[in-house]
Amino acid sequence: MLNILLTLAVIILFYTVALFLGGIVERVRALKGEELDYTKNNQTHGKLFLIYGVFFLLMFAFSFKYMDFASLPKAASNWGVEIDELFVITAWITGIIFVVTHIALFYFVWKYRGEKDKKATFFAHSSTLELVWTSIPALAMAVLVVMGLKTWFNVFPNKKTLPANQLTIEATGKQFNWMLRYPGPDGVFGRRVLSKEFVSPDNELGIDWTDPASHDDFFASELYMVKGRPVRFNLGALDVLHSFYLPHFRMKMDCVPGVPTGIGFTPTMTDDETRELLKSNSHWASIDPETNEPRYVKFNYELACAELCGKSHYGMMMPAHVVSQSKFEEWTKTQKPFFEVNKDRIQAWLAARNLSAGASKGSNNYAAFNGGDTSKKALKLDSNMTKVEGATHNIADNKATEGKQ
Amino acid sequence: MATIAHGDHGHHEESFLEKYIFSQDHKMIARQFLFTGIFWSIVGAAMSVLFRLQLGWPNETFPFLETLLGKWAEGGRISNEFYYSLVTMHGTILVFFVLTAGLSGTFANLLIPYQIGARDMASPFMNMLSYWFFLLAGLLMLFSLFLQTGAASGGWTMYPPLSGIRDAKVNAGSMWGTDLWFFSMSMFIVSSLLGGLNYIATILNLRTKGMTMWRLPLPVWALLFTAILGVLAFPPLLSAALLLEFDRIFDTSFYLSDIVVGGNLLDYKGGSPILYQHLFWFLGHPEVYIIILPAFGITSEVLSVNSRKPVFGYKAMVYAIGIIVLLGFLVWAHHMYMSGMNPFLGSIFTLFTLLIAVPSAVKVFNWLTTIWKGNLRLTPAMMFALGFVSLFISGGLTGLFLGNSAIDIPLHDTYFVVAHFHIVMGVAAFFAMFAGVYHWFPKMFGRYINDTLGYVHFYTTIISAYAIFIPMHFMLSLPRRYYVFSNYQTFNIFEDVSKFISVFAIISFMAQILFVVNIVYSALKGRKFTSENLNPWGSNTLEWTTPAEHIHGNWPGEIPEVYRWPYDYSTGHGNTDFRPQTEPLQEGEDAH
Ligand code: HEM
Ligand SMILES: [Cu+2]
Ligand SMILES: [Cu+2]
Repeated sequence: MLNILLTLAVIILFYTVALFLGGIVERVRALKGEELDYTKNNQTHGKLFLIYGVFFLLMFAFSFKYMDFASLPKAASNWGVEIDELFVITAWITGIIFVVTHIALFYFVWKYRGEKDKKATFFAHSSTLELVWTSIPALAMAVLVVMGLKTWFNVFPNKKTLPANQLTIEATGKQFNWMLRYPGPDGVFGRRVLSKEFVSPDNELGIDWTDPASHDDFFASELYMVKGRPVRFNLGALDVLHSFYLPHFRMKMDCVPGVPTGIGFTPTMTDDETRELLKSNSHWASIDPETNEPRYVKFNYELACAELCGKSHYGMMMPAHVVSQSKFEEWTKTQKPFFEVNKDRIQAWLAARNLSAGASKGSNNYAAFNGGDTSKKALKLDSNMTKVEGATHNIADNKATEGKQ
Repeated sequence: MATIAHGDHGHHEESFLEKYIFSQDHKMIARQFLFTGIFWSIVGAAMSVLFRLQLGWPNETFPFLETLLGKWAEGGRISNEFYYSLVTMHGTILVFFVLTAGLSGTFANLLIPYQIGARDMASPFMNMLSYWFFLLAGLLMLFSLFLQTGAASGGWTMYPPLSGIRDAKVNAGSMWGTDLWFFSMSMFIVSSLLGGLNYIATILNLRTKGMTMWRLPLPVWALLFTAILGVLAFPPLLSAALLLEFDRIFDTSFYLSDIVVGGNLLDYKGGSPILYQHLFWFLGHPEVYIIILPAFGITSEVLSVNSRKPVFGYKAMVYAIGIIVLLGFLVWAHHMYMSGMNPFLGSIFTLFTLLIAVPSAVKVFNWLTTIWKGNLRLTPAMMFALGFVSLFISGGLTGLFLGNSAIDIPLHDTYFVVAHFHIVMGVAAFFAMFAGVYHWFPKMFGRYINDTLGYVHFYTTIISAYAIFIPMHFMLSLPRRYYVFSNYQTFNIFEDVSKFISVFAIISFMAQILFVVNIVYSALKGRKFTSENLNPWGSNTLEWTTPAEHIHGNWPGEIPEVYRWPYDYSTGHGNTDFRPQTEPLQEGEDAH
């Protein structure tokens, strides 16, 4: 309490002194009869603003160096590389405009700072000039739009055929965890039924165990992708909005309850390759005091949530990896299908309802995922995403963690 | 046009209540908006200092926080729930209460009647209501901070389902805090509509003789377009809020569908959270122009007067604002590229979004040409107007990254966006507001503001603002709205920068308090603005033809007639370097 009062006293003192000093300067100006004469101030601030401007532009330039550690390593996906190129082109265009206009601003203020017997030049408009600086930005924008949309349509191709060897992964966000479902060896996800009958704390995704395709699906606690193999994420959310964000791959897409979304790309850099790159980054090459090793040794990709989803939004971190196909297969073998692990419980659940595992021949279509809603709207929302095979999952093995605090 | 002489003004004695509280006089209402706006800026900025403490020093504890905040900062550290309430309230307060109501309310009220030559607003009563609804909205929002479950914490955009499910397990702030948020916003929208309709009616109908549209000063043009934007864009937000309350209270499914909480499927079926985003941003994007257009107007005026030169390309400036208003209604979904909406839509919005950069660029070039070959008088107001130009350039350019949907894939919802909008909207609009306060201070308070403190305020603010937001551009991988980020190896590298930013946030806050102290002190004790010099800046506009003390009806006799546009500076005619709008054209002078 005393501390708070003391701090307050110091602050009040600070402002009183400031007011006092400011008051004196103004009183002196008034005594000299210069209260509305800014000639001296023009001199001072014309120069000061120019000095500030030089300092500002230098700091701006240096910040690229100071902040170098902050840059992410080379994009680890095919689209990421394209997006980065676009970013760099935009940065050059805007950077040049930024520097030129700022130099003009600082220079003009200094050059035309007011003097007693100088006169301003009356110059109210010029159609030529205005035409010039309407059309040049318009042209620049046209170039940016064309290049941007080319990449955009690459990332979201408007076609429904999938690459043959595509790996499809279902990622579902929930407070505050990711549920990653792999389709298992059959490459097909077990159907999901979003009805009160199927959805339960043991089966949050509403997986239909009567669908045989569900029996080899497994849930992963870390994301594994394969270098050079297109990967497709079918995204969803259970409770609130989340956003599936892979910074190293420059990829992001919201996960929306009730509206399936998706994103796809091809990973281009394995974990090891990126580690190699990071050796030349000042931060990653430095020694981690905890392990006594350079930091890049422990590097892995990360999956983050980019849409505010509640009090532990920041805690939805999941490690991610890009490996070779053979390593991926090795890893797959270590993953146990959820059905296998929870067989007894699931069988009991089925028996209680007079159903049997794998009996269903139902089609694995999206409509089922959407709780049987086959309305045009439900289907149309997905028209530009790849077709979502039934989606599923459950959570019992992913204990909800409340983000490290 | 209003040319009726109000000879009987000043006769009737006003009570204290009528004069200061339930005033219907535009000049008093302007001051009410200004002081309420200042109150909210201090609250909003203090909140940012609190969460900057958390971001800068996530591992330290500050016992005084527990003294102040109790259960929200147990152990001297702000809890994550309270952190999210703070960022939500900070955003809401600054966007709506300060930069919308505080900025437009102050300057529309002050400048519209003065600069068009009117005795007051078309409906002084509606004008008063507009203020009182604004105050009510604010009080409701303030009250929500004291709720057991905390204030709303879904971000200033309040996306459902987070804001749609009334369940403390999902989000404590989504209980009463959110109801109050929407209720308060509804009051705010009413205030804004009452104000806006009145501004439009006043500008269109109450111009004095000779004040044609093409003779309007640019602040008035800007405020006219602002009001049009507000009147068209706020109602959709009101409907969005209503529908969301239906979902929350009556369990309808406008925005909610297939929601599983704690393993239980809720009954909502068929709604779409994306619909809310469309409705929200249909207001939300125009809203950013509601904030920046008055800033454009003030900047143009202050630059021109203090350069002793006409605004370059007056008509181009007006057309640019007009095009921005039109296109401003066609770009809202650039906030939603990654929302799951159809990617084809994204391409259309990319096109319009980058198109809107063209009129913005025209404005910047015109401002630069306005000061070119001027005879610049570098008052504090002028410094802030120049600062505005710098900030608008810096922030506008980063818009070109975000507007391009492909580049927005990685950038969306990261610190890059935070940097973009704080510079182009937050800091820039504040700079224009500062410029306006310094420039019209004598008119508002009958005294001059202390210039020395004004310069100190300027340099500290521009340096600290850039020191805060330039580094954020480089934190472009870090998602916004993270309470801590040390749990990610990708992001924990930002810990030192984050401290740096927090230090400058505190410095900047201190500088703003200096400004407030200066306002209060100068309004009470500053050098008097007297009838000896009624036009200290040598300005052409009508407000400087009114008497030094505020009188009801603004002009004691007839309202002056207008003969020319407002930007005849340094024309070479007459014996001063300005030609007030009330001076008839002389032989050899060109009309504009
Ligand atoms: C030069 C033209 C501009 C372009 C192309 C542009 C583009 C964008 C885009 C695409 C976003 C969305 C970024 C994202 O969330 O991923 C954005 C965010 C934003 N912009 Fe701009 N912008 C421009 C100018 C402005 C101006 C003049 C203002 C305000 C005065 C403004 C205020 C905002 C705000 C407040 C946000 C963030 C809202 C939020 O997510 O909380 N922008 N801008
Ligand atoms: Cu989240
Ligand atoms: Cu926008």
